[in-house]
Amino acid sequence: MKRHDIYTLPILIWLSLFFTIPLSITVIMSFMSSTPYGGVTLPFTVGNYVEIMKGRILAILWRTIRISALSTLITLGLSLPVSFFMATSKWKNLLLMATIIPFWTNFIIRIFAWIFLLGNNGMLNNILIQLGIVKNPITFLYNSWAVVVVIVYTYLPYMILPIYSAMEKFDFSMIDAAMDLGATKIRAIFKVMFPSIKGGITAGILFVFIPALGSYAIPELVGGRDSVMLGNLIAWEITTARNWPYATALSNILFVSTALALFLYLKIQGSDGK
Amino acid sequence: MRRSFLLLFIVSGLIVVFLLSSGFLGKKLYMYNWAEYIPQDVLNDFRKETGIKVIYDTYASNEEMYAKLKAGARGYDIIFPSGDHVSIMIKEGMLEKIDKSRLSNFKYIDKNILKKITYDPNNEYSIPYMLGSTGICVNKTKVREYERSWSIFERKDLKGKMTLLDDMREVIGAALKYLGYSVNSTSTKELEEAEEVLKGWKENIVKFDAEFYGKGIASGEYWVVHGYGENIFSEIPEEEWDKYDFFIPKEGGTLWIDNMVIPKGAKHVDYAYKFIDFILRPDIMARICDYLRLPCPNTEARKLVKKKPIYTIDDLKNCEFIADVGEYIKLYRKVWNEIRFGY
Repeated sequence: MKRHDIYTLPILIWLSLFFTIPLSITVIMSFMSSTPYGGVTLPFTVGNYVEIMKGRILAILWRTIRISALSTLITLGLSLPVSFFMATSKWKNLLLMATIIPFWTNFIIRIFAWIFLLGNNGMLNNILIQLGIVKNPITFLYNSWAVVVVIVYTYLPYMILPIYSAMEKFDFSMIDAAMDLGATKIRAIFKVMFPSIKGGITAGILFVFIPALGSYAIPELVGGRDSVMLGNLIAWEITTARNWPYATALSNILFVSTALALFLYLKIQGSDGK
Repeated sequence: MRRSFLLLFIVSGLIVVFLLSSGFLGKKLYMYNWAEYIPQDVLNDFRKETGIKVIYDTYASNEEMYAKLKAGARGYDIIFPSGDHVSIMIKEGMLEKIDKSRLSNFKYIDKNILKKITYDPNNEYSIPYMLGSTGICVNKTKVREYERSWSIFERKDLKGKMTLLDDMREVIGAALKYLGYSVNSTSTKELEEAEEVLKGWKENIVKFDAEFYGKGIASGEYWVVHGYGENIFSEIPEEEWDKYDFFIPKEGGTLWIDNMVIPKGAKHVDYAYKFIDFILRPDIMARICDYLRLPCPNTEARKLVKKKPIYTIDDLKNCEFIADVGEYIKLYRKVWNEIRFGY
């Protein structure tokens, strides 16, 4: 063993204990058969994947991707101007703190705060009723849009922070230089600033899109009767349906599609830069 | 570099020793139970009398508890599953037999209730804790006129303000009862009819909710909820109780019974016996019933309760136990997949 290897040993042990082994278990389980009372049994089969490919869950998979992609796009759209403003502001550190502080509150409590704001008996509805604009409360929550709004809110800092840190390193006088050389402001931003903050954008997209795909609590709390996402389906298959092989097959599909998306994205990003 | 490594090892070693030792001090009983199902002062008194501290870990559904145990969770000494799950756990060999001669207070349990128990005749593995029915709770200030029937979920004017439990057997059972069938039906035709009913109900509810409905109705978020009375009233301040009506629909509903069981491999079986006997003691049982506002399964304790329960044992005559339906559960899953997940 080389002298340097000793330093990688803890991370190696950590990864194999908490990543490789659990992952292998789910892969093996997904190829086994289910028993009526939970657990797995032999023989090995590909039936679980065949069942999934029959298209029964494609609607949920598609909804999961749609909600996650839309949320990622919105967070990106919000984060670019915000990060730009932060990076060029005098109050950099103060704004950075303001972005991070909501993190100190528990994630579930922040979801409940949205129920407090937009719920049937929430602040907005009560104001509308007081003003006489509506008679009965409007149901803002409990649909897929509510899920998107709360995902955007929850993951916004994960997008802002990497983009901000990329922008902060960017020398803004380069834009002036580009404009002095005849570029329009838009062109200067796209041709000069974007390439150098691309890393931050990539990181932000990954930080938001991947956890959004695995959402469970958000659709559970603010989603409605028709906004089940893949995470909720997996939980249901493991607990009530007691179909562990099917559930593990589903989670493997989630894992593989995430990894694939990541790989493709990084590949495209990489070839762009050359 | 070597010195800092040494330091790191010593520090982490100390942390491990500290964590281990804090877990080994004192007598402890590890309980896995529904949330807020036993009042804290009862647990405190148990500790005062026996010196055993109860560690209270919670689950939100039988399925969650079962999946965790089946996946290999160990270390619990006492668990509170409902009847259908008791029978599954017996079949799967997950439970320890209970020696009733060690329970001096077992004799106080209502004989009529014991007779109804089909999931574990003679109580060889399980001791009943509480029983009750799943019903509907209405916020009377928001909904002035209503019929005490499952048909409330067909009302279009309450659309978006109602919830059904996120529980396969409860929801399908409700629809089956509404149609006049058994909650344990194994007929494809009856279950298909139930599915049609549920499709109609689903249009009017805002979501399937088994976690938040109690808080939801208490905060005015929902107006009509399907759920367990004790979960709802524990969220509502006592002076507002008369604003809410909890009823068991006239068509009848599902009946549940939660039991105390000792899982195989429990390390503190003696403590578990002591605890079960303590819970069955009439004065303790009466305090728990007052806390939960549930009818007492214990004849002696009924004389000691101070608060009126949400419903009485007599109200439950139309209700039926949810039993394990074995392989037929597939029919239920098919209906539920269609209703809940749309496939």
